[in-house]
Amino acid sequence: MRQNRMLAILLGVLATLVLVVGGLSAVLLLSGKGGTSGTTTGNNAGGSGSTAASGRLRLPGTDPSTMDPHLASDSTSAEYIVEVFSGLVTISPDLKLQLDLAKSVDVSPDGKTYTFVLRDNATFHDGRKVTTDDVKWSIERAASKQLASPTAMSYLSDIVGMPEYFQGKAQSISGLEVMDAMTIRFKIDAAKPYFLAKLSYPTSFVVDRKQVEANPRNWTRKPNGTGPYVLSEWRLGERISLTANEKFYLGTPKLKEAVYLISGGSALTRFENNELDVAPLSINDIERAQDPGQALNKLYKQTPQFSISYLAFDSSKPPFDDVAVRRAMGYAIDRKKISDVTFKKMLAPASGIMMPGLPGYTTDVKTLQFDANAAKAELAKSKYYVGAPVAGKTAMPTITLTEVGGGASAGTDTQAYIDSWKNILGLNIEVKQLDFASFLADQSAGKLQMFGAGWVMDYPDPEDLIDLKFHSKSALNENHYNNPAVDKLLDEARTLADPNRRLDLYRQAEKLIIDDATWLPLYYTVAHQVVSPNVKGWIDPPMVLPRLRFLEVTR
Amino acid sequence: MTAYVLRRLLWLPVLLLIVSFATFALARFGPGDPIAVIAGQVRDPVVIAQIRADRGLDRPIPQQYLTWLSRAVRGDLGESYAQRGFEVSELIFPRMWISAQLGLVALIIVFAVGVPLGLLAARLAGTWMDPMIIGTLLFLQAIPVMVLIPPLIWMFAVKWQLLPVGGWDGIFALYWIAGVIAIPIPNPHLYIPLVAFTLPGFVGVARLVRITALEVNLEDYVRTARSKGLSEMTVQFKHVLPNALLPLITVVGFALAGIIEGAFFVETLMGINGIGRMTFEAVTSRDYDVILATTVVFASAFVICNLIAEIVYGFVDPRVRIGGSSRS
Repeated sequence: MRQNRMLAILLGVLATLVLVVGGLSAVLLLSGKGGTSGTTTGNNAGGSGSTAASGRLRLPGTDPSTMDPHLASDSTSAEYIVEVFSGLVTISPDLKLQLDLAKSVDVSPDGKTYTFVLRDNATFHDGRKVTTDDVKWSIERAASKQLASPTAMSYLSDIVGMPEYFQGKAQSISGLEVMDAMTIRFKIDAAKPYFLAKLSYPTSFVVDRKQVEANPRNWTRKPNGTGPYVLSEWRLGERISLTANEKFYLGTPKLKEAVYLISGGSALTRFENNELDVAPLSINDIERAQDPGQALNKLYKQTPQFSISYLAFDSSKPPFDDVAVRRAMGYAIDRKKISDVTFKKMLAPASGIMMPGLPGYTTDVKTLQFDANAAKAELAKSKYYVGAPVAGKTAMPTITLTEVGGGASAGTDTQAYIDSWKNILGLNIEVKQLDFASFLADQSAGKLQMFGAGWVMDYPDPEDLIDLKFHSKSALNENHYNNPAVDKLLDEARTLADPNRRLDLYRQAEKLIIDDATWLPLYYTVAHQVVSPNVKGWIDPPMVLPRLRFLEVTR
Repeated sequence: MTAYVLRRLLWLPVLLLIVSFATFALARFGPGDPIAVIAGQVRDPVVIAQIRADRGLDRPIPQQYLTWLSRAVRGDLGESYAQRGFEVSELIFPRMWISAQLGLVALIIVFAVGVPLGLLAARLAGTWMDPMIIGTLLFLQAIPVMVLIPPLIWMFAVKWQLLPVGGWDGIFALYWIAGVIAIPIPNPHLYIPLVAFTLPGFVGVARLVRITALEVNLEDYVRTARSKGLSEMTVQFKHVLPNALLPLITVVGFALAGIIEGAFFVETLMGINGIGRMTFEAVTSRDYDVILATTVVFASAFVICNLIAEIVYGFVDPRVRIGGSSRS
């Protein structure tokens, strides 16, 4: 009897589980059906009568960390933000600085005053006209103490009075002056030729005051921007849909809708399954795409990116206080061979610090090229000895290379460098892997003797790389590089009006930096993708830029 | 009974208080700073210090904790550092739902596979099959999830291209027969994660069932049942199984803990956007409020599951009378 009761209870439990699972699956199936078959329409894109925009582009995506242009500091977020919002100036896919919300800009002879006049037809997505009050309010919001934007000081601090405002010592930014509803004047602290390029960054984008004030925490779910696309749907972890803003002031975008699919497995599998129009290629797929005999090869595109990886030496820490040690290690690594073997040629060996396409870049090779004998000769010049003691020299201190990583072993390329240093120079270098947050903490505390890192350009001007990373006073000079000759060149380049002479100064600085071997530039990033034949005029710029409106999808 | 459950539930807030403070302090004392992580590559120390001050991260840790606590009791779990503009609750509940579905399926598989396997092994006791089954199971159980997943991915997804590499696409997928009839099948995205997920669990269950079934098989009433001439099927399912299952109820609690623990590895390695992966990401980006919220949720789930297991045990086995009230 008791066993029957027990059996009954157990059966009951089982039945409940079955019911729960059954109900669950029904819900899932229904919601899944709604998700895949329903076409999404923009909240204010329809009904305008214009049918100029057409086509639907399906891209792989990631949830942005924010849709707020004033807070974003990562390229994932920026990719959406540059389509939904806009600012006074922008950068075109061929990297030219162009007017955007502004129809004209007048620079004073001393290079310190910029007067912008807005376009008459520039509106927010809801149809409201953009005025200079919107521009001023937006920039003051971005620079405000309350918002505490991580990018404000980097992008806006050239404006007179901005640092005081950011610290809460001023009521407004004194260098921002509204002349009339359509004219606004910016005063900057020195004639900086790269100031306009900085203004193209989302920190200076225009947001809708009314919307932000009405809903400070959640307005970014349905932002009322001024850009070519409207954020029509954002389902966390599932999809983001951008729909063409048919009233866009530079003309109706060609592409009607872009859908970023966030969940799901391998992008290439989904591409081949016709679920995506574009897919990045991983190292597992690259050989297939590069094989001319494969169907995928016809759809394969590779584009260089404004991004570089490097190893950095802290010259305040032995043995890197000795330039000979740094140079020896530089000569001992074979970028090309390592790229061919471990990266299957997916990355381009760095020929300098400035990457291809960047103003100032030259094609000649500047980095220390692999040469085992030169490496040994450099090490012999050093004040440290390796192996048997040498009179008058000090023993080589322990060297630890720190990199971001989750595993116990070094990255495949790091392992190859370590082997080269061991085989050619007899150096035993330890690798320490840290998670990103701990790495940053140790880096900013100046604890890293040697580390691997990368840099992605924010705007196409060498100042954003050479000055920020190598000026002895820059907060981003993480390996404490200090060369007065370099500082002098960089100081001069900051305010030089002649663009050719200015780029030349950066090239001279680059040469000095490479000869000092404070960085071993490793690779330029290259994007490898397959793009559906339905996409016409595919653009993959080397940095994040508005591009959707130039694309066409035939389907 | 009711009093016992209530008393246990009253302990929950105390437990959560301890857990949340420990997590809070660990995160704050650990290296790294969420602001530095979200600041991107242009990290100006002055700006970072300013943002830290605005977020209250420069205040003493007990004070920070009290601020968090006073908000949390009102249901406000804070705002994510990594995804600014999102409340923690908005972020964690959709992802908990994904993990819950996965965990439930895993739990069902653990018992659906483990129980018959254990009974079989017990039935075959004394033959060469029994040590072979148990040996194989022990071997399988010894493989950590982290070690198991990469070869599974390599074999089934990369080499033979039979299964997707990972990701989440719901529990069920539609399988079309001749393009007309659609039948729901378990989503192929889940095959590898579920194998990795359930292997240690069902092996544990199978071994436990084997041992208890072996004991039960020696009981007088089983012998009596057999001598009555009942079929082996009836003996196994009516007499052996119910009694062998009893200890399993306590195991449900542990199995659930194992599934939660496994979720960290499985979801992270298989690209499933569940709560385990989210916790992992939150830890790496030092997203303080998300780490706290997930820890508190996990702790609550753990306590409640164990409580349910105890209550069910009390119902099923009349010898167990929890709470001391002798009502028989």
